Amino acid sequence: MSSVGALKNRLGALEFQEYALGLVVIALFVAGSILRPETFPTWDNVRNMLTQASIIGVLAVGMTFVIATSGIDLSVGSMVAAAGVFGGILVDPSGSTLLFVLGAVGFAVLLGTINATAITFGRVVPFIATLAMFSIARGLALLLNDKLPVGLLDLNGGSFGEPAPFSLLWFGTGKVLGIPVSVWIFLGIVIGGWILLNRTRFGRYVVAVGGNREAARIAGVPVRKVIFSVYVLSGLMAGIATVLLCARLGSASPVSGNLYELDAIGAVVIGGTSLAGGRATMVGTFLGVLTFALIFSLMTQLDLSTEIQQVTKGAIVLGAVLLQRPEARY
Amino acid sequence: MLEVRGLVKDYPGVKALRGVDFEVRKGEVHCLLGPNGAGKSTLIKCVSGAVEPSGGEILVHGEPLPPRDPAGALARGVATIYQELDLVEDLDVAHNVFLGHEPRRGPLIDLARMRESSAALLRRLGHEKIDPRLPVRALRPAAQQVVSIARALSYDAQVLIMDEPSAILDSGEIETLFEVVGRLTAEGVGVVYISHRLDEIKRIGDRVTVLADGATAANGIPASTPTEELVRLMVGRKVEQLYPERPRGGGEVLLEVRDLKRLPAVRGASLDVRAGEILGIGGLVGSGRSELLRLICGIDRREAGEVRVAGERLAPNRPDRAIAAGLGLAPEDRKSQGLLLDWDLTKNVTIADLGRFSRGLLNVGQERVAAREQLRSLQTVPDNPDRHARLLSGGNQQKVVLSRWLLRECRVLLLDEPTRGVDVATKAEIYRIVVGLANSGIGVLAVSSELGELAGICTRVLVMREGELVAEVDGARATEQELLAHAVAPTAGPDLIEEVA
Repeated sequence: MSSVGALKNRLGALEFQEYALGLVVIALFVAGSILRPETFPTWDNVRNMLTQASIIGVLAVGMTFVIATSGIDLSVGSMVAAAGVFGGILVDPSGSTLLFVLGAVGFAVLLGTINATAITFGRVVPFIATLAMFSIARGLALLLNDKLPVGLLDLNGGSFGEPAPFSLLWFGTGKVLGIPVSVWIFLGIVIGGWILLNRTRFGRYVVAVGGNREAARIAGVPVRKVIFSVYVLSGLMAGIATVLLCARLGSASPVSGNLYELDAIGAVVIGGTSLAGGRATMVGTFLGVLTFALIFSLMTQLDLSTEIQQVTKGAIVLGAVLLQRPEARY
Repeated sequence: MLEVRGLVKDYPGVKALRGVDFEVRKGEVHCLLGPNGAGKSTLIKCVSGAVEPSGGEILVHGEPLPPRDPAGALARGVATIYQELDLVEDLDVAHNVFLGHEPRRGPLIDLARMRESSAALLRRLGHEKIDPRLPVRALRPAAQQVVSIARALSYDAQVLIMDEPSAILDSGEIETLFEVVGRLTAEGVGVVYISHRLDEIKRIGDRVTVLADGATAANGIPASTPTEELVRLMVGRKVEQLYPERPRGGGEVLLEVRDLKRLPAVRGASLDVRAGEILGIGGLVGSGRSELLRLICGIDRREAGEVRVAGERLAPNRPDRAIAAGLGLAPEDRKSQGLLLDWDLTKNVTIADLGRFSRGLLNVGQERVAAREQLRSLQTVPDNPDRHARLLSGGNQQKVVLSRWLLRECRVLLLDEPTRGVDVATKAEIYRIVVGLANSGIGVLAVSSELGELAGICTRVLVMREGELVAEVDGARATEQELLAHAVAPTAGPDLIEEVA
């Protein structure tokens, strides 16, 4: 009987959070359109925002699964850098886009698998295991090519402006039906992530493990397998994000991806997925990614410095976490 | 000393209390009775200041109690001991007794005085054998409860509310509890005693207040009121028969357990469960019964022995394989081990059998229909599959767990304390369900501390003592007394301090 009231509030708050976030996205867009009517509500700007959001967005989809099990992956930003450089030296001086993609994605999956192994078999807490990988992967990114970036401009006839289809640059700057390829990929992954989370046995198990590991185990959920899988999945998403990033920049830099994990975690959390596990929403994550993208586009256009943007980002994440747990306030 | 008048508490959509009257006199044991969901917990929470009442008044010594102020309630001498003891297991006894109001000397805790005062309080309760320097973890549940009571006394409690204090105790320990309660009332403390066990109320109660549907059904009637009358007041009707006819058993062996061992709890146990029988395991709390069930299911890793389900050997430490082979466990603690409380009932029912609804993608609609069917067949209230598990009463939560294993069509059902914290009427229902399952050919292995219920429904009863199965009694001839005699060691006295191995 005790927590009926609190619970109702919380259930209400969950749906409320998704609706509210939708409204926030709309409100931000309207605000931007009023403040910068010439530049903000333009197709160019929207396309730009979505393109920028797609990289963090892909990471956030993987992160949603990790956080749903009440875990965390701090290493995704470093994995992006390491996977990019690894793929880069594979195709330097000559190679194909396919080789780069396979190399980068494969390397990120390998790193994710190391995380997964440490966490499930080594019983290292996720925070520490992925913090270690945060450092290891960044170190590898710097070691692999002597701290130098690798140029990837001309893979399969890519060039800025009009990249040939399936050249590497095409994934970053090419368009299909007027929409950037990277945005298509992002949307596809969000939809795939939604289905995986809400319409498969695996997704159900993920949330069960995060909600109550002991109860899940007693109900026959293969807990270890599930936890292992989410970190491999997070590595896979880091690999895809690597491809999108390198394709946009035309190079793989060992210092790229810095603090991407924070953006991804922030988007997931403001979306309403519970850091304590047991509650996950892919729609929320998508809206969270959009919210961040809008806020930074708006702040950039208002000529606010990146330092202010950083402070804002942190404040939003803190606020979202506070909102998430109304019953814990005392 | 404590007076409650016309207390009302509304939660959104639920009226938990609709005008409750209740009073506690000096030096009496006042029992509070009522089925699950009658509002007992809400009443306690209002009185202890944990929640704010929507109407009515609470007077302590004639003065109104400030609402939603637990510290204020304590300061006025109203202390509550909840069912789940809120002790910090790693801290020692003295720290637990004075947690939050440690005696100080300057900025530092005055350890010597704290230990001395704790020892004095324990002496007052007749438990000077409990050393204030021992960590609480080393104490048995009954001794932990004594520490909780000592904590309440450290606030100079004059009204002590105890929420199902006997639920975690075995028969011998309950005696200890009764003795402590006797000492308190002799000192003039008023005790509010909540329990589902009507026989206890007869033994230690002075007066009884019965709650039903958030209202007072009987206010302060004598504890000598006949049991049937109390039950009628609680459930609004007569419970004709508590125990259905016990299943005969005698089918083929479904579950074979051989020399299963995990020290120190389980020291080699062997048993067979046959189709169509209920095999009970009785014993004292801490005798290793729950641990044995967990080993059988592979939840904990076994050190030796083997488990076979229908002849097939189970891999150790793999509950998922055990379930695939046909086992199902309804654990002791439904809230923390049985259910995902924030999930709706559908997901709680289908979690063990998602393969049935999955052809690549889950068929969510089909899932919901199947869950509703199972919940209805067990008369779960509510049977709305979209409700959240947290909102159900204990008995209905148990039905959700049973629905899960029925859907899964398990062959052997393991029940750990299936009726703990469940009211009489729902108990009768659960017995009926379990007996029905056995009659349909499932093998049931049931662990219970209520020896009476084992004697009431089991085909055979095993008794566990100190990690070993020491006796087998035919269900039809089993009596509570006989089972208890097997359960307590012939020589051991009531030693409340566990040896730390």
